[in-house]
Amino acid sequence: MTTGALSRPDALPRPAAAAGAATRLLRLAGDRADVGQQLRATLDRLRRRWSAEDVDDWAEGALALVHANAGGRCLALFCRLTDMSRGAGAAALAADACAAAELARRAGSKAAAAALEAAPAVAARLAPPDRARWWAALSRLARAAPDCVEPLVERSAIVLAAGGAHGFKDFVAAGLKAGGGDRGRLKAFFTLADPAARRLLERSAGEGGFHELERGLVLFGAALWGAPPRLAALEGVGAAPAAQRVSLAGDLIRMPHVYRGVPADAAPGLYRAALAHAMAHRVFGGPRRPAGKLKPLQIALVGLIEDARVEALAMRRFPGLRALWGPWHVARPVAATNAALLMGRLARALFDPDYEDPDGFVAKGRRLFADASGRLEDPTLARAIGGLLGNDIGQMRLRFDPKGYVVEPLYRDDNLGLWDFGDEPDAQAEEIEQAVDAARPRPEEDDDGRVADAPPREEAGRAREVEPDGAGQAIASYPEWDRAAGVERPRWTTVRDAPAASGDRRALAAALEALPGFRQRIARLVRGARVGRTARLKRQPEGFDLDLDAAVEAGVALRVGDIPEERIHRADGRRARDVATVALVDVSESTRDRVGAATVLEIEKLAVAALGAAMDAIGDRFAVRAFASCGRDEVRLTRVKEFSGRMDDAAMARLAGLSSGLSTRLGAALRHAGAELAPLRSHRKLVLALTDGEPSDIDVADPLDLAEDARRAVLALRRTGVDVFGVTLGEGCDARIFGRANTLPVRRIEELPARLSELYFRLARL
Amino acid sequence: MTTDLMPGALSAHAIRDEPYYRAVGDEIEIFAAAYAGRLPVMLKGPTGCGKTRFVEHMAWRLGRPLVTVAAHEDLTAADLAGRFLLAPEGTVWQNGPLTMAVRGGAICYLDEIVEARQDATVVIHPLTDARRALPLEKKGELVPAHPDFQLTISYNPGYQSAVKDLKESTKQRFVAIEFDYPAPAVEAEIVAREADVSGEQARGLIEVGLRSRNLRGQGLAEGASTRMLIHAGKLLRAGAPVDAAIRAAILLPITDEPDLREALGAAIAASLPAGLAA
Ligand SMILES: Nc1ncnc2c1ncn2[C@@H]1O[C@H](COP(=O)(O)OP(=O)(O)O)[C@@H](O)[C@H]1O
Ligand SMILES: [Mg+2]
Repeated sequence: MTTGALSRPDALPRPAAAAGAATRLLRLAGDRADVGQQLRATLDRLRRRWSAEDVDDWAEGALALVHANAGGRCLALFCRLTDMSRGAGAAALAADACAAAELARRAGSKAAAAALEAAPAVAARLAPPDRARWWAALSRLARAAPDCVEPLVERSAIVLAAGGAHGFKDFVAAGLKAGGGDRGRLKAFFTLADPAARRLLERSAGEGGFHELERGLVLFGAALWGAPPRLAALEGVGAAPAAQRVSLAGDLIRMPHVYRGVPADAAPGLYRAALAHAMAHRVFGGPRRPAGKLKPLQIALVGLIEDARVEALAMRRFPGLRALWGPWHVARPVAATNAALLMGRLARALFDPDYEDPDGFVAKGRRLFADASGRLEDPTLARAIGGLLGNDIGQMRLRFDPKGYVVEPLYRDDNLGLWDFGDEPDAQAEEIEQAVDAARPRPEEDDDGRVADAPPREEAGRAREVEPDGAGQAIASYPEWDRAAGVERPRWTTVRDAPAASGDRRALAAALEALPGFRQRIARLVRGARVGRTARLKRQPEGFDLDLDAAVEAGVALRVGDIPEERIHRADGRRARDVATVALVDVSESTRDRVGAATVLEIEKLAVAALGAAMDAIGDRFAVRAFASCGRDEVRLTRVKEFSGRMDDAAMARLAGLSSGLSTRLGAALRHAGAELAPLRSHRKLVLALTDGEPSDIDVADPLDLAEDARRAVLALRRTGVDVFGVTLGEGCDARIFGRANTLPVRRIEELPARLSELYFRLARL
Repeated sequence: MTTDLMPGALSAHAIRDEPYYRAVGDEIEIFAAAYAGRLPVMLKGPTGCGKTRFVEHMAWRLGRPLVTVAAHEDLTAADLAGRFLLAPEGTVWQNGPLTMAVRGGAICYLDEIVEARQDATVVIHPLTDARRALPLEKKGELVPAHPDFQLTISYNPGYQSAVKDLKESTKQRFVAIEFDYPAPAVEAEIVAREADVSGEQARGLIEVGLRSRNLRGQGLAEGASTRMLIHAGKLLRAGAPVDAAIRAAILLPITDEPDLREALGAAIAASLPAGLAA
């Protein structure tokens, strides 16, 4: 994996006292029939603008293309790029050329040409470091799936629009994992033919999307209605774009990933409005009714009246909901050309008493609903009024298009949950309901024998013993979050105790010493961490206050002629450190990737060695686990160091013996770390996950599933008072898993002390 | 010498005017019965739900002075029982509040006793069984309790961690009375009276309380207490706008987590009528 280095011009071999690059370029390509003239012209122009050195830098880039046999078209496109990006410096342009040369080598000159052709547009959109990310992502794709480079380059604008350069890089990573080496699937993904790819883009457009807002919504729902609602994101079915209306199934409220076209600052209010509407159905609605022979128009109208009915009841209970829903009722009395428009107006009329509408149908609906205001609790009311109104629309000969109809306003649900469609049961809803039932947490009894109304906790602390089997000793099983179904699958993963190999501890120790001052800095940080309880310390040599008892004793001693004790003050201090830490070391295949000069795993080892030595020296409780997985039944955990053991030669040898391989099931590892911390009585508990931050596994197609599961595992741990931090190495890390504040990105080992000091700083304030 | 000082010292603790207390259940009767038998009482319940007010009311009702000690994590046995001080003529013994109550026949109320150091909880043991006496270790004296002395402690089972809990041997010495936030109508009555706001405003504030209490265990250790609602009411009374009053008295003190605050604020806004809402 030397490719990363090649995208930087300074990494290119420069023959020391040889002729300047520009001269060599002209010698090699200046006479070419296809681009010779263009090259000479470009060089002439550059010489007028730049120093000779810069021109040489630029020429190095062009030479890279020549050496990669990228072809005349690439060189021509490079000249075009140079002309089009006047502001760019020589180094940035050369970097572009080197990256393109790399593509040419891996994926062919056609792919490289496509990228160079797209580059001016990309350059206009991205700043230089982001541009490098774009190239790096393409280069990664070129290595794994060369024939996907061209299609993706052509769609760069779409992918960049959704998530910027970081999103682009994540998209490539997700696609490679989703494709799992299958050329057809990879191609489908990177041509965006695969709906999963489009969903991913939709999501990464994400500002103000469901995932960002989910926790706030759960809290909002719990505060209003007393119990946390069960929420899940709506997945699009097949190639259809994900729905734009909430859908209710079982007791699950499924919400769109994003409401397209809604500005980010309006999204929280919209999602809250949508949740409140769904809860109004849930609390004030009746049971599902058979759709029977009702026509689509009648079904839509009954739903509309039912929406108004449950909202009216909800507003009686919570009057402020009117202000939440009101802004979304925007129907106007414009000429009604079809039934749906008129129905939108009726919806507003039933909601908003101040809304004026001259239409007779709207007025009639209003009157019928007002007449029924005394019996709003009657769940059959909607059916009665809806039936009457249906006839009217029929007589008005307004067209109703059942396929194109969507409930208005935006915050309302699709109302399919109201109906029982009899002979053709809603298979999807049923399946979801079953899944929900299976995963429904049992109410826990508390000490008093009452059923606690506290929220169900994830089973973080309750590792269950699992029988040993052939594949190695199983030690626990944990639930896992199923993002698509929106349920937690109980006992889904099996954690196994993987034996540790022994490695060269001396080499590891030497590598640690080779970093100047590194070990000492870490030790200082760990020592200085404020992780004990605060306490007033008595009998101190100095402090803010007299310790009365000590002072009196000293006074008595003085009078009787004894030597008084001088420590007669009280001071604020920290009582003994009281922290237990588990370091989780990701040893999956991807830790073989390089970050700067070292691999992810090498950096992890150095970090753990330094931390371990420091914690060992001051007696903190500290355990080290390495994790990698091969499907949900085989989450391998290697015990490098126990809480009870020392960070001795044997532990260092086990640490040195870790090697990269298999996949990353971060959530299971986190839950296990939590289970190991649970029985300890410590003031502070800390999980430190060192990872490249990209959970994935062979049996999970969408890597976002495991990222989401890991995020939930982190939240569950946090609820039990465990602080979780992610030391994320390399580029591909998703800050959502650990939360932005608890994500400590480390790109070079030298950055580790600085990140750790942030960690301890946060820890002291939490 | 010290005993002569007693009546004077305790007279400051006498309660002359009836403290307003709105009974929620049979707590007044139970406490009176416990006092009649000189049994120690433990008031269990979340913070700010009326425990302190209740003891004040009972002390007034029973005609006893009330000595209140708010426990904190540095509270030692000496802080409760007393200690020697230096005076020009030598050391003098200074009674702690507990000794004062024991000698003078007051009701001693130890608020949030779990917060105190272990040695402080242990010194009350002899007072809570048949011995009814307070040993003054430093002084080598055993002070028998005045016949009218009674000990009451409060205890919030909600937020203690397992590390910090009353020992079983301590718990079992007390008669317990459970407190919780009163039913909405009653709490509204209390808030209206204590903050001097209208019934409608008080009912609005009760809604606010309910919203926050729904988040107990969802990120909030405790919901807004009656005390907090009264604070918000007092701000309203002084002319603060509703949203500002709720923010200052409830949202800001109750949590530092922005997500949680925003969600709670939105739920509160949704439950108040337009006139009252922000
Ligand atoms: N039942 C009640 N009757 C009268 N006032 C009450 C009652 N419950 C609560 N309060 C009010 O709430 C405030 C806080 O109660 P307090 O007794 O200090 O709480 P605690 O001791 O439980 O922390 C009191 O000052 C009082 O204004
Ligand atoms: Mg609806």
